[in-house]
Amino acid sequence: MKQKLKWMLTPLLVFCISFSYAQEKRVSGTVTDQTGMPLPGVTVLIVGTSTGTQTDFDGNYSINASSGEQLRFSYIGQKTVTMTVGASNTMDVQMSEDAEALAEVVVLGYRTSTKEKSSIASQTIASETIENRPNANALQTLSGQVAGLNILASTGQPGAPPAVNIRGQASINGNTEPLYIIDDVPTDAGVFRTLNPNDIASVSVLKDAGATAIYGNRGANGVILIKTRQGNFNEGLKISYAGLLGVSSLQGNDYDLMSSPEQLRLENDRGRGRGAGLSDSEIASAETTDWADYFFSSSLAQNHTVTMTSGADGISQFTSFGYSNIDGILKNSDLQRFNIRNNINGKSKNEKLTYGVSLGINFARSNEPNNIGGSGINRNPILGAYQSVPYISPDDYVDGASLLSPLSFANTPLFLIDVQENLFRREDELQLLGSFNVNYELAKGLNAKVVMSADYRDETRTQAEGPLSFNALLFAQGKDPSGTQNQDVIRQFSYNQTTSLNYNTEFGKNTLNIGAYVEYFKAHFQTFGYTQEGLNPLTFAPGDGSAFIGDNPDNDFYVDSVRANLLDAGLFSYFTSVDYDYDGIYGLSGTLRRDASYRFADSNRWGTFYSLSGRINFHNMAFMDGSVFNQLKLRGSYGTTGNQYITLDGTPGVYFDGPDLTKDLYSTSSGYGAANALVLSQIGNNELTWETTAQANIGLDFEVFSSRLRGSFDVYQRTTTDLFLDTPISAINAQTNLSRNTGELVNRGIEFNVNYDVLRGGEDGFNLTVNAVGGLNEQEIIDLPTEDGIIDIAGAPLGYREGGRVLEYYTYRYAGVNPENGNLQFLTADGEVTENPNVDTDRVWLESNIFPEFQGSFGFNADYKGFFVTTQFNYALGVDRFDFDLAGFQNPNNIGQFGSTRDLLRAWTPENTITDIPALDAANFALGGNSTRYLTSADFLRLRFAQIGYNFPQRLLNGTGLSNLKLFFNGENILTFSEWRGFDPEVNNPTDVTQFRLYPTPKTYSFGIQVGF
Amino acid sequence: MKNTKYLLICMALAFFGCDDAIEIDQPGRLDAGSAFQTVSDLNLGLLGLYNEFDTTPEIQFNAVFTDELAVGFDSGGQGIGNGEYGFILNPNSAAPIAAWVNYNDAINVANRILEASENIAPEGDYNDILGQTYALRAFAYFQLISYFSPDYSDDSALATILYDFVPTPDQELPRSTNGEVFALINDDLDRAEDLLTVQSDATFVSQDFVTALRARMAAYRGNYAQAGTFASELLDKYPLANREQFKNMFLDEDNTEIIFKLERTINDDYDGQGSTGSGFAGGWAGANFAFVNATIEGSPYFEIGRSLFNLMEEEDVRYEVNLEPTSIVSPDYTNSDDFQNEDILIVGKYPGNEKPLLNDLKVFRIAEMLFINAESLVDAGDLTGAAELIKELRDARYGTPQPLPSYANSQEAFNDILNERRIELAFEGHRWKDLKRLGATAGQSIQRDPLDCAINDACSLDPTDYRFTMPIPIVELSANPNIQQNPGY
Repeated sequence: MKQKLKWMLTPLLVFCISFSYAQEKRVSGTVTDQTGMPLPGVTVLIVGTSTGTQTDFDGNYSINASSGEQLRFSYIGQKTVTMTVGASNTMDVQMSEDAEALAEVVVLGYRTSTKEKSSIASQTIASETIENRPNANALQTLSGQVAGLNILASTGQPGAPPAVNIRGQASINGNTEPLYIIDDVPTDAGVFRTLNPNDIASVSVLKDAGATAIYGNRGANGVILIKTRQGNFNEGLKISYAGLLGVSSLQGNDYDLMSSPEQLRLENDRGRGRGAGLSDSEIASAETTDWADYFFSSSLAQNHTVTMTSGADGISQFTSFGYSNIDGILKNSDLQRFNIRNNINGKSKNEKLTYGVSLGINFARSNEPNNIGGSGINRNPILGAYQSVPYISPDDYVDGASLLSPLSFANTPLFLIDVQENLFRREDELQLLGSFNVNYELAKGLNAKVVMSADYRDETRTQAEGPLSFNALLFAQGKDPSGTQNQDVIRQFSYNQTTSLNYNTEFGKNTLNIGAYVEYFKAHFQTFGYTQEGLNPLTFAPGDGSAFIGDNPDNDFYVDSVRANLLDAGLFSYFTSVDYDYDGIYGLSGTLRRDASYRFADSNRWGTFYSLSGRINFHNMAFMDGSVFNQLKLRGSYGTTGNQYITLDGTPGVYFDGPDLTKDLYSTSSGYGAANALVLSQIGNNELTWETTAQANIGLDFEVFSSRLRGSFDVYQRTTTDLFLDTPISAINAQTNLSRNTGELVNRGIEFNVNYDVLRGGEDGFNLTVNAVGGLNEQEIIDLPTEDGIIDIAGAPLGYREGGRVLEYYTYRYAGVNPENGNLQFLTADGEVTENPNVDTDRVWLESNIFPEFQGSFGFNADYKGFFVTTQFNYALGVDRFDFDLAGFQNPNNIGQFGSTRDLLRAWTPENTITDIPALDAANFALGGNSTRYLTSADFLRLRFAQIGYNFPQRLLNGTGLSNLKLFFNGENILTFSEWRGFDPEVNNPTDVTQFRLYPTPKTYSFGIQVGF
Repeated sequence: MKNTKYLLICMALAFFGCDDAIEIDQPGRLDAGSAFQTVSDLNLGLLGLYNEFDTTPEIQFNAVFTDELAVGFDSGGQGIGNGEYGFILNPNSAAPIAAWVNYNDAINVANRILEASENIAPEGDYNDILGQTYALRAFAYFQLISYFSPDYSDDSALATILYDFVPTPDQELPRSTNGEVFALINDDLDRAEDLLTVQSDATFVSQDFVTALRARMAAYRGNYAQAGTFASELLDKYPLANREQFKNMFLDEDNTEIIFKLERTINDDYDGQGSTGSGFAGGWAGANFAFVNATIEGSPYFEIGRSLFNLMEEEDVRYEVNLEPTSIVSPDYTNSDDFQNEDILIVGKYPGNEKPLLNDLKVFRIAEMLFINAESLVDAGDLTGAAELIKELRDARYGTPQPLPSYANSQEAFNDILNERRIELAFEGHRWKDLKRLGATAGQSIQRDPLDCAINDACSLDPTDYRFTMPIPIVELSANPNIQQNPGY
């Protein structure tokens, strides 16, 4: 106690003395961040004067100051520290992260820089825009927030990853997902299902080659760096709680579906289905079921996160516990998640040794209906929700057995009710993400560092189709009892280690930072699974084996199948980085990386990737003094990156897909009469290599009018060569495709990111900032391996051609209804109207595809005395999609089996000749399906997010024991403007873009509270 | 300083420990170079070769593209779209892709076995394995000709790509002529005859398989003298089934008439639904016609075409076999209020044996040999001889003596044989090829019942139409600049 008192009194004492004997002296010290790492570029200013300096690369500074004067240490992204000069000539300062300003820190690969000094194209999102959102998957939340970061939901299943790419698809068959690095752990999009978004401190999106080339053979699709939260040294225990309660519901549609009387009347007119045999009064009194309302319902979501941070002298920690329970709007789809995270940072007394541990333990359990998007009327519940006839009622369902006879397509909703009752499909996933880093200062400016990280996932998938379910009985195939249960256990472990030496030096106005790195990566994959045929209904319980029926000598119905798979993957790389700065004005950086991949061990083992980038800070040049510009920086970069994930099988994941494509292989498998056999399984390609993306980027960062207007513009061109494409080979080879590195593809685009402070009222005034983000991306296929420069996807109305874009629509054009006879009309390739197009030769390239050309967001943030409002409008333009759901509703052949739209009421008749709906018995109706008839724009503008809330001011909290309290109300997907008539213009299956009957994303309203103790 | 040492050691380890990350042999792989070491490996390869053969796509195509089928009351769109039921056939169609790819796969696999056999000492079943391999390669070549050659009887017409070696992916070979491919087939069959040790076997290649293939090939080529000889050779050995045996044959419980069939069983590669309504097929044979089982409750999406059904008489055992018993036959279908639901003619030929819809695939039956013999007699001018053979078959099928047909001329005779084939070999993958080679001579074309084709107006197609030769599929066209497309496509 005595000791403490002394330290508290000293400053006062010193202040008094210094009043009398003001003496200037040299004060020096080291500035470090909260993890103990030296902070270069910190501005040190004597308060009330214009005297100042900056820390060097080692975080050291020295300045002439008098005792009693105050030194202000400021650094972007850190809380400003003010200290009074005392008796000591040494003043070391540890700064702590300023969450609000964190966006200003620029994370380079394997190293950091400042916004001022970096020469790369990147954008960082701070925790505020990620936390407290009801999206189970943090990636969903990022949608629209970063220019060039394209995020499209592929399903409404809670937690499911959306499709993500940065600056367009740079690959056709290979991976287009960016590399994700969470606290030094390289991983993939799969982790976000289990990750607690509230643990995220910041997300940095690295876009140009200057930023990504240092990731070499993993950086071709850009890099997303995620930092989780940390504690601060010398800070008392802080506890906070964040809770969110949300309600989700189905977004609306404009299909204008018929009611039961309308549907039955139509059936009656057409002589098909139940309506054919009903009287007028029976038709008029039929009850209508809204099947979308039955299969989808409002669902609840709750998230709770408790965090505790504290720090002592040489150690700080962050601990959080999270729990989420999110029900999907589709019945039987949900996600339950537990998260524990513990991050520790420490340092030695002399601060030469610093270390950090980051550990996340995540467990997620989700029920996930399958066959979404499929056409099985007994499998895909979405089909039941959308296409069922309205006159059947859920009350008509008794059990699976009673649906067997008569088997009728009109009973689709009842089959699917049975699926909901009897299909059990659960995924349990345990994930451990951990990293450990240690840094030691060998000599002044020379640091050695080791970072070790591991990503472990253990997933159990259980699927059981009960013995009394309709599907089990339907496909019993003689089995009595029937029923199937599958279980698969998938384990994946990956380890990454980076060892580096880093040297900083300063001479005159020059600063130089040189790094040398070695990286090792190894991953292992293991699955085991079985399919059990035959489950005894007396003891059946999903996931349990009590009900298993054994094989018998009479038949082979109950022979089970088992499967197991082992795969290994690895990479080894060494690389170097050089960063040079002259006087805060000119900067140059370079990286060079050599990579070896196990995948190309027999062909092109080593690849070399590099980048060069530079910048000029005009605002630091003398001639700019007094201008309106607070910042004006011109950046440029050029470099190459590789993509070794050149093929995607889907099951094992990117690390392991196509592990030995260079080899000719045979396999032992089931042959004729189910006997053992030896068959050719793969023809190797001994020229296999990386897909290489070269990217040029020019960017401008600016801040004007006292930084009221801030933003950046970027222009880029990404050229991918050696695209790994299915090259057709003659069928005499026993396969018709061999994947080779042959094609070339270019993505070019413009991005902007602008913020403007309309009102700056300060803490007690009215603050209003408007922002806009946008990215325009244009795609051009330069070279394809086929003779004619076209890859035709058999049976699909799309393909690839030189000069075109990825998955460009390629089909014959629909030209409306012939007023003469109600038939469909089309255009020939030459543009002439015909009723009988040649489905092969009349196809034309339509210069459109499903991927947006221009997308982003705009919105505003406003606050006044603790009240705040945030909005985010997302937009996507240049999206074209087939609306095959609509095709189903408008299909006259479906009458009697499925529901129809009221559009059919205006079908062509001899009396109604000018219409957009063909005659219900148009002779050439079948040709419509694959034509452009159902190709429509799915451009949209959506109020993606809005939040309104109140942050209690300190004075109201005094005496309550609370340090902060915030209440807020959120809405997600509140309003959508689109020509698209379906439930959700955004959700599509990126691997099959013509797929329909998909699970839409919901509209969600939630209420949240954040409280600190 | 101590810490520094440790760090340096760590870094050194990182450098030296790299090979295990990039020198990885995946577990469970068998390198192609070391796959075949012994005769028993060759036998495993042969079982893989058999597995390449699947006639379900042909059963599908020959039924859907002709007048064997109609769209069923429980169609979920099968046959309604732009498919073969609308006589739409182009390089993107499934059926030519399936035929071209599957049989070329088989030839490639056969060539690999033959190549590997050169380094293996001939002992044990060596000869018989090679004999089966040659015969199967010959069969694959013949099947390719039968779908892709514009004219079987013209030796200078284009056939398929000829290769008796293991090709490399850079090879872009043109099609050879029928004459050249028939020569290879004959060589292969000669070699097979020398090597094969088994005379008859219902589910494996034997001497009888070779003879049957020779007979069919000669008939297709119009070489009727030869065809008759080969067919007679087999007719002497295999009796016609009686009615009970005939019914059991399609339950896979009787092999009286079977010269060769492809065995299908639980847990084999084809034990599953396959592509329903598509020329790729590839699962249970019966799934070409129904989703669940071959009864009215099994969701039969295709039904027997009325024009075929009208040819059959109730007393004929083939009526019982072709028409599944739960079918609903409208007494006056042309005046039915609801033709679709009041006239349900379910295909009964693949009810399934071990499982519903799972049946062996009949490739050569003695009845076909009888027809070949009859054709050769007509060709030789012996119309009565031909009529007697047809009567013999009908007597067996009806179980009672039937009147002797009388043919005024050879066209009439061919027409009657073609009709009889249509009934006898329905849904066994023959109709399209029979119309192609005999339709013009017999004055017969695809003729669907007007009610069956009301859905798409695709009611008839002349056998001289270009669509009686399959197009070279898109997969080959885009890979091989030297390939020649068939006329009309």
